[in-house]
Amino acid sequence: MSYRRRLLELAAPLLALLFALLVGGIFLLAIGKDPLQVYLTMFRFNLSRLDSIGSILYKSTPLIFSGLAVAVGFRVGLFNIGVEGQYFIGALLASIVGFSLHGLPVWIHLPLVVLAGMLGGMLWAWLPIVLKLRRGAHEVITTIMMNHIAYALVLFFITSVFLDTEQEMVKGLGSPQVRMPKLLETARMPTMHGFLETLGIELPRHVYLNWFFPLGILLAVALFVMLWRAAYGYELRAVGGNPAAAETAGINTQRTMLSAFLLSGALAGLVGLSDLLGYFGYLDIDFPKGYGFTGIAVALLARNSMLGVILTAILFGFLRRGAEGVQAFEGVPMDTIVILEGVIILSIVVAVQIVNWYVRRQEKLMKRRQVTMERAGGD
Amino acid sequence: MPSPVIETIGLTKAFPGVVANDRIDLEIRAGEIHAIVGENGAGKSTLMRILCGLYQPDLGEIRLRGVPTVIRDPRHAIKLGIGMVHQHFMLVDRFTVTENVILGAEGTRWGRLDRRAARRRILEICDRYGFDLDPDLAVEELSVGQQQRVEIVKVLYRGADIIIMDEPTAVLVPQEVQELFDNLRRLAKSGKTIIFISHKLDEVLDIADRITVLRGGRKVGTVKAQETDRRGLAEMMVGRPVLFSVDKEERAPGEPLLKVEGLSLKSGERYLLRDVSLEVRGGEIYGIAGVEGNGQTELVEVIMGLRRPTTGRILLAAQDVTGLPVGRVRGHGVSFVPEDRHRRGLILNMTVWENLFLGRHRARRLTAGPLLRRIVMLGEADELVQEYDIRVGSTGQPVSSLSGGNQQKVILARELAGQPRVIIASQPTRGLDVGAIEFVRQRLIAARAAGLAVLIVSADLEEVLALSDRIGVMYGGRLVKEVAASETTAQELGMYMLGSTTGAKEARDHVL
Ligand SMILES: Nc1ncnc2c1ncn2[C@@H]1O[C@H](COP(=O)(O)OP(=O)(O)OP(=O)(O)O)[C@@H](O)[C@H]1O
Ligand SMILES: [Mg+2]
Repeated sequence: MSYRRRLLELAAPLLALLFALLVGGIFLLAIGKDPLQVYLTMFRFNLSRLDSIGSILYKSTPLIFSGLAVAVGFRVGLFNIGVEGQYFIGALLASIVGFSLHGLPVWIHLPLVVLAGMLGGMLWAWLPIVLKLRRGAHEVITTIMMNHIAYALVLFFITSVFLDTEQEMVKGLGSPQVRMPKLLETARMPTMHGFLETLGIELPRHVYLNWFFPLGILLAVALFVMLWRAAYGYELRAVGGNPAAAETAGINTQRTMLSAFLLSGALAGLVGLSDLLGYFGYLDIDFPKGYGFTGIAVALLARNSMLGVILTAILFGFLRRGAEGVQAFEGVPMDTIVILEGVIILSIVVAVQIVNWYVRRQEKLMKRRQVTMERAGGD
Repeated sequence: MPSPVIETIGLTKAFPGVVANDRIDLEIRAGEIHAIVGENGAGKSTLMRILCGLYQPDLGEIRLRGVPTVIRDPRHAIKLGIGMVHQHFMLVDRFTVTENVILGAEGTRWGRLDRRAARRRILEICDRYGFDLDPDLAVEELSVGQQQRVEIVKVLYRGADIIIMDEPTAVLVPQEVQELFDNLRRLAKSGKTIIFISHKLDEVLDIADRITVLRGGRKVGTVKAQETDRRGLAEMMVGRPVLFSVDKEERAPGEPLLKVEGLSLKSGERYLLRDVSLEVRGGEIYGIAGVEGNGQTELVEVIMGLRRPTTGRILLAAQDVTGLPVGRVRGHGVSFVPEDRHRRGLILNMTVWENLFLGRHRARRLTAGPLLRRIVMLGEADELVQEYDIRVGSTGQPVSSLSGGNQQKVILARELAGQPRVIIASQPTRGLDVGAIEFVRQRLIAARAAGLAVLIVSADLEEVLALSDRIGVMYGGRLVKEVAASETTAQELGMYMLGSTTGAKEARDHVL
């Protein structure tokens, strides 16, 4: 009975994915590709190679942080669209601390850089939330504006303030990059290769999976505990659920909103660090954009569950890695992949709804049957 | 004998852990006023929601005018002539009465909203049933009673001839109740059928033709109003005799625990509170009577620290707490039952146990470092559920799944359990059944006996008179009269509440 319900619940996301693949398949057919072939390639490419697994986890790392940042905001009733700008400022601060502080041991420098990133995110979250609490300016508007300011500001810092003019060029090859100085070795986040080797796993060198991934999972678990076990998390949910009632109960709603939004900003500040400290090693004008917005989808799909964010972030990582494979082996153009990703996100959202509805209906039918049976046996 | 317009046969609806409606056979006759009564959680609202298509029954059949019918959803229900007036009005404040009535039922002429025709039809309806309603006023300018009238016109406009009302009188003052009943009688006389839920047995006996009693999801019986009385009904509902008046012992009041001095609150140019002074002593119950909207809400909100007064002071046991935030005021030992449980009292999407600790969750015995001690909380929550007879499957359910009266009990349990020194309670028994009212009143009197200061705000004069030692009447933001409960009557209080005696008139001239 409840065993069957369990099964349905477990099956729900899988059915949703199936539906998504179906809709995506229609698009693939439309551009003249064999969807089955494409999907087969995608799954084989993703699941049969160790470097793909590592890459999926690497790609999911920033999305875990941005998903968590958005989800924390939603839990307190605030829509943080500003994760995008917050991680840019976070990366900027982390980069500055990363190349400018010489002579520190790694166990001091690296944490400082990470803290600088979080501080940057908090800084960029601070203004919108203060404007909201003091002046009632809606956070959706202000954070969007802060995003644009952040892009421009980071560009300005890269090109005009900290432009690295001492780049060593390979003789006669190319032009200098538009970037800030390289981070010191003590500021780089080590990859997980060494650790995995001790477990007997030989991760190929071209995969940059680093310690931010386990850090993200750890943070998600910590946030889960905070939300559902700590007094602060209880207050956060209360304010998110009904601020007037929380206030009446004596909870300081303003302070809770402020701290929760700053927490969201601090998490956002971590989003760019896996790329910055674990891969590029410098901040340039091509620093990846868009993690903040994808984070909204990640959080929504996870229904703002902290642990769910881990799974949905990995799902997105899966799609992105799969896209690379499909592009390389099936010649599906990159733009189509982007469209496909959007379609899949949408279909998953729709499919989750449909499956939930179906599950509820099934439950109802089962209950009705049960009531009838009890009736027959009872009186 | 008139034929039944609605008949249910074996109607059953279960929620996880409870059978809310258990094989209900109900028979409603055309043109009658049929009251549904029963304890909190007996299944009244559920039954009504099934009849208006909000819930689907798990089992059983509904016969509408003799024909087996499946009521798919509220839209379908209204097509079948069944309209529901909800307790929480669904009106757009800034729209006019006409706009609100046609919202969702827009009759268009060549794609344009035909407001004039709609307005004419609304006037016709008001005329036919003797409703006093101006179709051009914005809803925000209407009193609660008038807003309810808009809701009734809304369902009539859509052609309903069966009108369902869930606790329509809970939010009304006595005068408005009389007007509502006059309207309902006229509706019934012209052939409309009215089904309504109420916990106020006097009202039920006054207006209903027949009364159906539910208990624990089952139908106990249907009786003619003339053939029963308050005691009989109460006993049918609760299954035991109920005390309607609670005794309280003479008690010499102690030190003033709550003192309000010269409190004023201005919003723009308007005074919401004007120079209110009162004091509540330990061992005393002070009742504030008044028609809703005369400053009572503002007064308690200012005392609690939810609003800052323009002038004046608030003292708790001689300590000035003016302008302190709610948490600090509560820290002085003040408990507060807000009048609107959904807006200020509960976090609807959180569980019952979580709501039982709202505001008390930082108590030392409930925390271990930054963490909450769930085991302790769950244990205490179960005790409170027992003590306050909150009907719930498990305290892990969201509080929104409780019946209205049981939600109110959650708030009362939380606020009375915190060992307060001062209790401020607005409409403490709103939505409770007779048994629960008896219990809550006993608790308040026990608090008085224990030396607490109790301030209650109620639109229910009977309640104010039964509980209070002293009574203050508010009108137009002022405390226009203060009397000992033993030296006044409901009639006299009613006069002051309407501002119609000399004293009150003076006050109004002052405000304007
Ligand atoms: N959506 C729901 N989910 C779970 N349980 C529910 C839900 N709605 C109602 N119930 C349960 O069904 C029972 C009957 O509830 P109902 O609201 O019909 O009571 P009621 O007679 O209207 O009570 P009251 O006088 O307090 O309003 C209660 O035990 C309630 O907890
Ligand atoms: Mg009810």
